[in-house]
Amino acid sequence: MGVVEKVFESLKEIPESSVIALEANSDAYFDVIRAITEKISIYKNLDVIYINSTLPANSIISVMDLLDIKRDNIYFVDCGSSVLLTQQTKNGHVLFVESPTMLENIMLKVEFLLRKLDRKKGKLVFLDSINSLAIHNSLSILSEFMHILFNNMRSKGAYTVVLSIKEQSSDDISRALTMVCDEKIDVKEEW
Amino acid sequence: MPEQKQSKVFSLPKKGQRNRCKTGIDTLDAILNGGIPRGNTVLVTGSCGTGKTTTSLEFLVHGALYGENCLFISVTEASEKLLANLIPYEFFDESLLKRGKLIFIDMPAIYERLGLQKSEFSFEEIDLLVNAIGDIVKELKIKRLVIDSVTSVCFQLKTEEKIRDFILKLGKKLSDLGCTSLLVSEILPSDARYSTYGVEEAIADGIILMGNYERRGDLLRTLQVVKMRGTTHSRAKYVLDLTPIGVLLVPMLKGGGD
Ligand SMILES: Nc1ncnc2c1ncn2[C@@H]1O[C@H](COP(=O)(O)OP(=O)(O)OP(=O)(O)O)[C@@H](O)[C@H]1O
Ligand SMILES: [Mg+2]
Repeated sequence: MGVVEKVFESLKEIPESSVIALEANSDAYFDVIRAITEKISIYKNLDVIYINSTLPANSIISVMDLLDIKRDNIYFVDCGSSVLLTQQTKNGHVLFVESPTMLENIMLKVEFLLRKLDRKKGKLVFLDSINSLAIHNSLSILSEFMHILFNNMRSKGAYTVVLSIKEQSSDDISRALTMVCDEKIDVKEEW
Repeated sequence: MPEQKQSKVFSLPKKGQRNRCKTGIDTLDAILNGGIPRGNTVLVTGSCGTGKTTTSLEFLVHGALYGENCLFISVTEASEKLLANLIPYEFFDESLLKRGKLIFIDMPAIYERLGLQKSEFSFEEIDLLVNAIGDIVKELKIKRLVIDSVTSVCFQLKTEEKIRDFILKLGKKLSDLGCTSLLVSEILPSDARYSTYGVEEAIADGIILMGNYERRGDLLRTLQVVKMRGTTHSRAKYVLDLTPIGVLLVPMLKGGGD
């Protein structure tokens, strides 16, 4: 079984309000994205709120188009684009946050989407990744951010998945994830 | 007769929580444990561009949608301009204007009607103004009032005594009429006080402080309820976003004090 299926299998039975950390190698990056945005979201019929700080949303969108992944139910909170450099196209599916240090603004955009999108449809928040946010933020403020955001998602019955890239991680980041997540899933190449 | 008078003076408010005036801004209502206690006069204070007018307008639109008569008295900006700002809001319903649920009046028009043209009002003229506002509120059965800004009115009062007199009398009148009021107050970012003259803040039943907060080069809009008589409330700072679906608020992160 490939990584996509493995991730899907390990996530498909999780209950609502779960907060899951996925620890993966950078090689598995696009497989994880595929498992979340395509497999899980279709299986559970979810809107995905994709918080990206690793790559600009446009790059992720290009990859998704290349992989033929439908994007109708994917909404980006983009803090991976330099706002000054991108011409912000009017696109209801991408909301920009000026800088990955504006963690409150990430929460505000997520809140905006939660109110804007069909309330009857389930939601999954995908944070890609804790490591790229950790470049710009202290771990204490990042932990506080995750704590507030994830609890808010829990209270709304949404699923939360946080990605941690092993090569960019540290013991401190791993401990922070343990604090805020219900479960950690180790994504191995040779599952 | 004196007996009757006494019983009125000493009549206690009903048991339990005071009736709340829901702002309709969910997180703000949560911060206030349900809303602004009805009849309170609240100072919405902050430096320029912090969202005072937008937030106050939203308070009125929600009130009008709940079926309450709402009045915006504009001192500095023309009503047409304010109205234009309302149109993009998804929850705004133009019929509120036609049905008289949401009313805009320009303060200069009130001054003119009262013949107030001097640059400094006398105590008698303050009474005149307070009574005129009271009459409008009574006549139109207004339940929510915004004066934007009270600072501009205070320019014409000049002295602390007159400002105190004006705010006290206005607050009393509005509260007696069961009208919940937001008085917009402009301060400089450097101001240590919550109001230009320092007296408004002591007299008001509540203070909602709006500000700009700079953290490592990022500028955040913030909101904090500093005081609110008649309810317990959070005093924490929140970060604010002005969006087409209204004001959104999230707690400001502390980050272990960095
Ligand atoms: N719906 C909205 N979406 C985005 N930005 C908005 C929205 N409404 C208002 N703004 C912006 O917010 C800014 C401040 O709004 P507002 O006029 O409410 O502040 P204020 O505190 O009343 O300012 P002033 O001191 O100038 O009266 C405005 O400059 C406007 O550009
Ligand atoms: Mg204003």
